[in-house]
Amino acid sequence: MNQTISSIIRHPMFWVLLFFFFLPFLLPLIGGYTYLGTEVLIWSIFALGFNILLGYTGLPSFGHGAFFGIGAFVMGIIQLRVIQGIWIPILAGTLAGAFFGALVGLFLAKKRGIYFALLTIAFSQMFWFISWGWDSMTGGEDGLSGIGRLPVGIPGVFSIDLKDSLNFYYFVYVLFVVSAILIWIIVHSPFGRTLQAIRYNETRTKCIGYNTAVYKWTSFTVSCVFAGLAGALYALLRNAAFSDSMHWTQSGNVVMMVLLGGGMTNFFGPILGACVFIVLRDLFSSVWEHWMLVYGLLFMFVIIFLPEGILGFFKREKGQGKVFASKQ
Amino acid sequence: MISLAEVASQLLNGLVLGFLYALIALGFMLIIGVMGVINFSHGVLFAWGAYFAFTLRPLIGFWPALLISPFLVGIMGLILEIAVRRSYGKDPLFGLLLTSGSAMALEEIIRMIWGSIGHTFAAPSFVSGPFDFGFMPYSKYRLFLAGLSVILILLVWLFLEKTPYGAIIKAGAFDSEMVMALGIDLRRLRTIVFGMGTALAGVAGVIAAPLWSIKPTMGGEAIMPAFVVVVIGGVGSFWGSILGGLIVGIGTSISVMFMPRTSMIIMYVLMAIIILIRPRGIMGEKSILE
Repeated sequence: MNQTISSIIRHPMFWVLLFFFFLPFLLPLIGGYTYLGTEVLIWSIFALGFNILLGYTGLPSFGHGAFFGIGAFVMGIIQLRVIQGIWIPILAGTLAGAFFGALVGLFLAKKRGIYFALLTIAFSQMFWFISWGWDSMTGGEDGLSGIGRLPVGIPGVFSIDLKDSLNFYYFVYVLFVVSAILIWIIVHSPFGRTLQAIRYNETRTKCIGYNTAVYKWTSFTVSCVFAGLAGALYALLRNAAFSDSMHWTQSGNVVMMVLLGGGMTNFFGPILGACVFIVLRDLFSSVWEHWMLVYGLLFMFVIIFLPEGILGFFKREKGQGKVFASKQ
Repeated sequence: MISLAEVASQLLNGLVLGFLYALIALGFMLIIGVMGVINFSHGVLFAWGAYFAFTLRPLIGFWPALLISPFLVGIMGLILEIAVRRSYGKDPLFGLLLTSGSAMALEEIIRMIWGSIGHTFAAPSFVSGPFDFGFMPYSKYRLFLAGLSVILILLVWLFLEKTPYGAIIKAGAFDSEMVMALGIDLRRLRTIVFGMGTALAGVAGVIAAPLWSIKPTMGGEAIMPAFVVVVIGGVGSFWGSILGGLIVGIGTSISVMFMPRTSMIIMYVLMAIIILIRPRGIMGEKSILE
């Protein structure tokens, strides 16, 4: 029993989850607010899931914003038109992300490298156009507003008001904990090991007898499950869903978070990346009207000077190998 | 009932749009083919071309602006290349993130200089107004645009096929190590190709300006078809890009006739069908890029 407890305490996951448990109380000390913390959690779910594909399988998707957006829109449409509630719309958003991810994944399963990246961009643009043009369903340019954070609980027993931002934070926190542990289990399972084998050498993995196309497809779909979930939660956070969520800049953001934190070398990289990214964006956008300029330059700076991310940078100091070695 | 004149004019629209898309995709494809970099800034450089022409034209006239704007965009490309150089030979995500960062920054600079609102850019007077085909009138400027695009595409083809520089560029795309072993400065070659590719974006921006209004986000409208065109045509294939451009252009304009609401989606549907039949695109071959 004691051993179990001490092994839990030694696990880095424990400390990460503990940190986020107390985050709402720490945020005001540094001038933040709860909304920001919730946003970090949501993007962490998205980035952790995305890292299954990018960091562990080594497939460069630049179109995951689409599945995030699909999660947001489907969540909103189901809640506004089909069923009042919160769990079923969230589930619907998550499943929709998974479904469209699985569909697009069929086209991608045998691709890699530049071709993979090109196709993910093209498909995500298609979804963006659909969300933008189908205004009777998605609200088009104005977006889908009126998505409500309805109370959760057991009718007649208890009910939690999610309109309160702190309550909503812990609602997202619970889903974050479940997602993070699930993703940890996935990447450390035999399945996850196979994905890493594909990243190191796909041809060899194929020769050993693994059907790499099926593994790549599954990896893509699983990452889209978390993109859909994050999107659905994001719609709840903003009480609306916008086509912007599907734009390529959003796809770039999640890639940036993974790289910035060092997701290529560390499981927790995407979480750190999401924290740094969201805080920096909040800082810039409140200071200067033309913050996009700084933001774009930051992207370039990170790629040029910190290509292995923050955690990767410290690891390199200790003399460890490079992750993205030259391919030629 | 759709009249014959309407069909003919839509088909012509498709052809014009197709040549423009092909021109945009050509510069984009050159950079992918030679360096393996997906240049996300291609669209915003296209917009810069249009904005340069917008500012220069009242000062020096249409033709000089058409010449100088792409030149200036090419210089911007050369400067951008100094940063992009870092991502050669690495995972495509590096080039993508780098150029998407520069795309955001460059778009914001446009907003800072010229503001967020759109501007109109009138067609030059010698090609304004309609041309009468007898059975239907058609915009003279569109014909001019198509003609100019074809000339530019042919010039690029002549450069790649008939000059020693073209031969080196193609060889560099095929086997960069061998080219280096022959004593050719690959770094300079790549810089030149990047500059050329971006200059092509610039010239496309100038000639597209009267067709689409000039606005900071116009780059997005240009680059989205470019991705699809390159996937349809096949990465690294010159004629594939031209064919892809025409397929997308004509497909889009035909769908305008029957289902206007789907016109922006149709190219993705075409893309999905084509890569199911030919996974590397119509004229794509197995290459180091996969």
